[in-house]
Amino acid sequence: MADEKRPVEELTYKEASRELELIIRNLESGDLELEDSLEGYARGVELLKSLRTRLADAQQKVSVLMKEADGTDVVVPEAKKEGE
Amino acid sequence: MSIWDKTAVAADGSPGEAQDDGVLTVAQAVELANGKLKTIPRITIIGEVSGFKGPWGQRGHCYFAIKDEDAALQCRIWGGVYQRRSFDLENGQKVQFTGRFDVYKAKGELAFIADSFSMVGEGLLRQQVDALARKLRGEGLMDESRKRPIPAFCERVAVVTSLSGAVIDDVKQTLQRRNPFVEIICVGAKVQGEGAPEELIEGLARAAAIKPAPDCILLVRGGGSYEDLMAFNDEALARAVAACPLPVVTGIGHEPDNSICDMVSDRRMSTPTAAAESVAPARKDLVELLAARAERLQACASGLVSEASADLDAAQERASRAMGNRLDRLQTALDAVASRPVLTKPTASLEQRVFELDRAEERLQDAGGRVPAAFTAALDRLSPRLANASAGALGSRRHALSLMSSRLSAVSGGIVEKPAAKLAESAAKLEALSPLKVLARGYSIAYNGDEVATSISDFVPGGVLSVRLADGRVYGTVNKVEGTASAVPTGKKG
Repeated sequence: MADEKRPVEELTYKEASRELELIIRNLESGDLELEDSLEGYARGVELLKSLRTRLADAQQKVSVLMKEADGTDVVVPEAKKEGE
Repeated sequence: MSIWDKTAVAADGSPGEAQDDGVLTVAQAVELANGKLKTIPRITIIGEVSGFKGPWGQRGHCYFAIKDEDAALQCRIWGGVYQRRSFDLENGQKVQFTGRFDVYKAKGELAFIADSFSMVGEGLLRQQVDALARKLRGEGLMDESRKRPIPAFCERVAVVTSLSGAVIDDVKQTLQRRNPFVEIICVGAKVQGEGAPEELIEGLARAAAIKPAPDCILLVRGGGSYEDLMAFNDEALARAVAACPLPVVTGIGHEPDNSICDMVSDRRMSTPTAAAESVAPARKDLVELLAARAERLQACASGLVSEASADLDAAQERASRAMGNRLDRLQTALDAVASRPVLTKPTASLEQRVFELDRAEERLQDAGGRVPAAFTAALDRLSPRLANASAGALGSRRHALSLMSSRLSAVSGGIVEKPAAKLAESAAKLEALSPLKVLARGYSIAYNGDEVATSISDFVPGGVLSVRLADGRVYGTVNKVEGTASAVPTGKKG
């Protein structure tokens, strides 16, 4: 729980989910100092809140792999493709 | 075969053995027909297997019919031929048989004696696919150990399929519904017909080259006929799937369909929808998971607090018990100290002393009353003795003292008179020598400041001069310095 203290917003859903699980397991192990536990708990609550929000607001991201004139592939978001 | 040969020999032996009236025996007629049939060259017939029996008995011959919509034909395959088969004949199979016609003389039955047979159409395709599957399995391409794990929650998925069909929309909708966190990158490729395997192979390569790399590739196609799905039985494509650097999930056709790609892929799902569903957990599951975690987290937190507070309670109880014990001990010690008489009756010792003092005072008073009387009596007795004794002793001492006194005065007179005469003589001499006597005769002493002047050189005109006479001093200023004739020209004004 030391170096991965990245801001919750920067984590992907999966990363946040994994960290939350880890925190809970650590808490459940009961090996932590009370201060660390409380810190972990706070982080856990933050992660949980973020995950719930994201789950509720999740928007699917679809893109298409397009071949450029020079033969290279580019990933083009589908909305953009439709707009063109 | 022997019966048929005998028949043939018999026929050959008597070809023109016709009766005079041109009527043939049955054997002759059959033989005639058979002879005509023998002129038909080796042919290949395509038809469906029906009423298959065999391999029959020890020899292993097979008896059945081949038919189509309009006709049926009895067919035989001898055991030796059937033993070399590449597949088992079954009713309903569309098979192509190569052989010759023959007639079974005993029954006059027309039969086609097949010396080889092979699958045609879908049957042939299936046979070829089975052979390819055996080959690839033999190479280990289908081994379970080769299959790579696919993340339970793929965040980025490349979908290789036709972009024009309904399948790609199915995949999108399925994932939108199931788990919108899965990012989809569509990679278009022809999934059927000429050039489809090549496009699919290229699609896999392009999908695998996407940066950042997807978690897996979905290779999917909707349902269709066996022939429609043949692109996914292509050997090159199957090898590309097996060699793909990313794990491949297949969903090709419908449930019973099973392509070579399905067999070599890392995960085979029966349909494109099922394949899409398999790459990520459902939103509902995520919600449940989060709820469960929230509960666990809450339990941890309350557990933490209650555990910590229980610990604190226990500690507090122990502390207070320990403290109580300690206080009890101190209390006991204090009680013991407090119960000592010095504290319970602090005046006791004083009273004792007062009592003792009172006693002492009494005794002192008693004693005091008696002592002066005793001493007075003793003194009274001593007084006359003292008077007697002192009268004697003092008389003799007084006499000795007066003697000594007279002697002393006699001696002292002598001691003082002689020095006194000497002193008077010295004083007279001293008087004669006094400078005051000289001054009295008219001499004076000149001073330059405090020093006695002995020469005119001690003075300069304008300097200060004082002169001592017998009865005092005179002060003046030098006007002129002039020596006497007999001396250096210096002088002094008196």
